[in-house]
Amino acid sequence: MAAPMELFCWAGGWGLPSVDPDCLAVLTYARFTGAPLKVHRVTSPWRSPSGRLPALKTQDEGTISKMQQIITHLRKQKYNADYDLSATQGADTLAFVSLLEEKLLPVLIHTFWVDAKNYVEHTRKWYTETIPFPLNFFLPNCMHKQHLERLQLMWGDSYMEDEEKLEKELYRDARECLTLLSQRLGSQKFFFGDSPASLDAFVFSRLAPLLKAKLPNGKLQQHLKSLQNLCNYCTSILSLYFPWDGGEPPASVPRAAGADGGDTEEDPHKRRNQLLSVLVGLAAMLGYAFLSGIVSIQRGGTGLAGRQPITLEEEEEEEEE
Amino acid sequence: MSLVAEAFVTQLAAAEPWPENAALYQQLKEEQILLSDNASSLAVQAFLQMCNLPIRVVCRANAEYMSPSGKVPFIHVGNQVVSELGPIVQFVKAKGHSLSDGLDEVQKAEMKAYMELVNNMLLTAELYLQWCDDVTVEEITHPRYGSPYPWPLNRILSYQKQWEVRRKMKAIGWAGKTLEQVLEDVDQCCQALSQRLGTQPYFFNKQPTELDALVFGHLFTILTTQLTTDELSEKVKNYSNLTAFCRRIEQQYFEGHDKDSATTVAARSAKRSLLR
Repeated sequence: MAAPMELFCWAGGWGLPSVDPDCLAVLTYARFTGAPLKVHRVTSPWRSPSGRLPALKTQDEGTISKMQQIITHLRKQKYNADYDLSATQGADTLAFVSLLEEKLLPVLIHTFWVDAKNYVEHTRKWYTETIPFPLNFFLPNCMHKQHLERLQLMWGDSYMEDEEKLEKELYRDARECLTLLSQRLGSQKFFFGDSPASLDAFVFSRLAPLLKAKLPNGKLQQHLKSLQNLCNYCTSILSLYFPWDGGEPPASVPRAAGADGGDTEEDPHKRRNQLLSVLVGLAAMLGYAFLSGIVSIQRGGTGLAGRQPITLEEEEEEEEE
Repeated sequence: MSLVAEAFVTQLAAAEPWPENAALYQQLKEEQILLSDNASSLAVQAFLQMCNLPIRVVCRANAEYMSPSGKVPFIHVGNQVVSELGPIVQFVKAKGHSLSDGLDEVQKAEMKAYMELVNNMLLTAELYLQWCDDVTVEEITHPRYGSPYPWPLNRILSYQKQWEVRRKMKAIGWAGKTLEQVLEDVDQCCQALSQRLGTQPYFFNKQPTELDALVFGHLFTILTTQLTTDELSEKVKNYSNLTAFCRRIEQQYFEGHDKDSATTVAARSAKRSLLR
């Protein structure tokens, strides 16, 4: 068995262990298989060894950056959630993953990153608050442009310009995809019986952000909420595998459950930064005061003592009045 | 189109029966058409054959530009033009012909999922091979793609298309893949299809559906197209039930028709060459 591997992923929010679908998929898969991972929840891609998230740092193979490759690597290390699946079920996994990636994921990206109201009021707000200075000024915008370009290349210009057509056809396909998933799941606990497989990790990672985020413009979200079995599925996975992550606010409340060492790294720096900024402010004020002569220190401390008679006179004046 | 107008048009479409002079447009078969477009076109032809709807194939050099979505093939039925297999299936359904009515909800979900698998993996692998693999691009794609046009237009058009496809590959994350990885993905896809098919005659037992048409279109084209290497067709040939499936559909739906169909009945072992 290899020494514990380190996983860098986006921080949690909205009641989820991580807000990014790819990072969530890797985390969930690792939980399902019990892989020993040291998880670093970071708030900017610059903290990850490869510059992108999710990233898995291994002992012998360097850093792996793509979700699929990370899951393949975990499989090779004998953490395989699909061990018990039959050949047909394995084939079905591939097919449903393709369905999700083609029909649902682009629309999800559109809902979170391109749809004007959602992006401005929800996604950008969260990222700007979480990413540290000075990245938070340009990184969310950069990500927005990347996602927009990706959608433009996938869908072509006719969809991007015509909002109604986009809404009608592509969102309709996404809603249909959700309904198909619901029908396939039926009343089972997981897609292939009683134990979770990689398909469950994929589906959960796509559905959970949609379910949990409080989107102002949430038509797709409403459709998902109407599919009761999918909602129960997501909440049961959250409560079973991420019990102490759900429901915590994204603010800097230090995570008391000490399993994640990565979070407490943030706090000392924050305190130190605050203290430093206060000190710098004070020093600047004092320096200005001395330099411009408002306050002067004379030998023997008479400067300071000299102020007092002035105030005493003022008080006397007031008393006279 | 607004919802009302679209409903109106659908009603009109449903009202008219399938005409005799319906036409399917694709690029020139011998000199111009590429692997991926040929596969898509064959899939549509197979689908229409399975529905017993007559169609004649018209080859035009500018088919890609005539198409409403920019993709081939497209069909011209009555006064409507519809492109790509998905919308064509829906259009045909509005006219009252459907192959997947007998499936229950779970099977329909699986059918849609497998169709996406083919589009996601096989079609993308075909596009990768013909536009991102330098050897194939030099020897096959560039000469074929611009062949109806004079120099320098043929070079400009091919470079433009290549740039566009490469951008798309980058966006979906395939640009970093090597040829071996792409072939590995094709193998995985064929394995999944082979396992799903098993020993049944069609994917959903007795009756062919649009999934069968799509799989046939892609696999048959891969098997019968001569490229710079045989690796792609070897991957498919590893699965005997898939080759038997292709042969069965060819015999049932394409043999004995003397119209201008994409499959030639001549000896199955002789590969049809798409090289210039």
